[in-house]
Amino acid sequence: MAGITPISGMGALTPAAAGALRPAVGGEGNVDFGQLLKTAVASADKPQENVVATIQDLLSGKSKDVLPAVQAMAKADMSFKLLIGVRNKVIEAYKQTMSMQL
Amino acid sequence: MSNIRIASPVDIAISGMRAESYRMTAIANNIANAYTTRGQDGQPYRRMEVVLSSSDGMSGVTFSQAEPDTKTGFLRVHQPGHPDADAGGYVSMPNVQLPVEMMNMVTASRAYQAGAAVMKKQQEIVDVAVELLK
Repeated sequence: MAGITPISGMGALTPAAAGALRPAVGGEGNVDFGQLLKTAVASADKPQENVVATIQDLLSGKSKDVLPAVQAMAKADMSFKLLIGVRNKVIEAYKQTMSMQL
Repeated sequence: MSNIRIASPVDIAISGMRAESYRMTAIANNIANAYTTRGQDGQPYRRMEVVLSSSDGMSGVTFSQAEPDTKTGFLRVHQPGHPDADAGGYVSMPNVQLPVEMMNMVTASRAYQAGAAVMKKQQEIVDVAVELLK
């Protein structure tokens, strides 16, 4: 089994990577939720910007290859779907909390 | 970031599709030049073959420039009226064989479709994972 090299970038989520999603820590060690959301949206927005750039290159004739646009689109689609999934989950939790009987 | 990790099979599939599309370019050039008797340095056209290579680990397929096929010889065709015919009336034709090129074209296009299928399936797999959040 020693000959098999591990696939790069498929390891478990390391604390360092998890730390990137925890930019603003409040006074009592609380994670600033708004900041967290902003970081998540920004990281999902980066592939979208990439899609815009590749499609602009394609339509303006700068690039004759459709594959970069397809590649960027697939990546952006997947990360955006993940973001939407997390958002739906968060909103669901919020709704459940708000409808709690006091 | 984590989204690049998810997309890694997409990159590999794209590299395969790009390689197959380059193979298709070489095949198109071979077919277009199937009867070119005046190629470079006055010789008939030599068919081009794309050589694929895989880089370290699992980072997809790469290719360099297409290389000319010097192993098969030119076809000698009896065409006395041809301006490039020799004293015996024979013309050297390119070593392109249309049935072979057609066969290569089918394999290239099928391999391209396979790459697209891998990409589609990977997106479906991510969808399944996201579905778990619900």
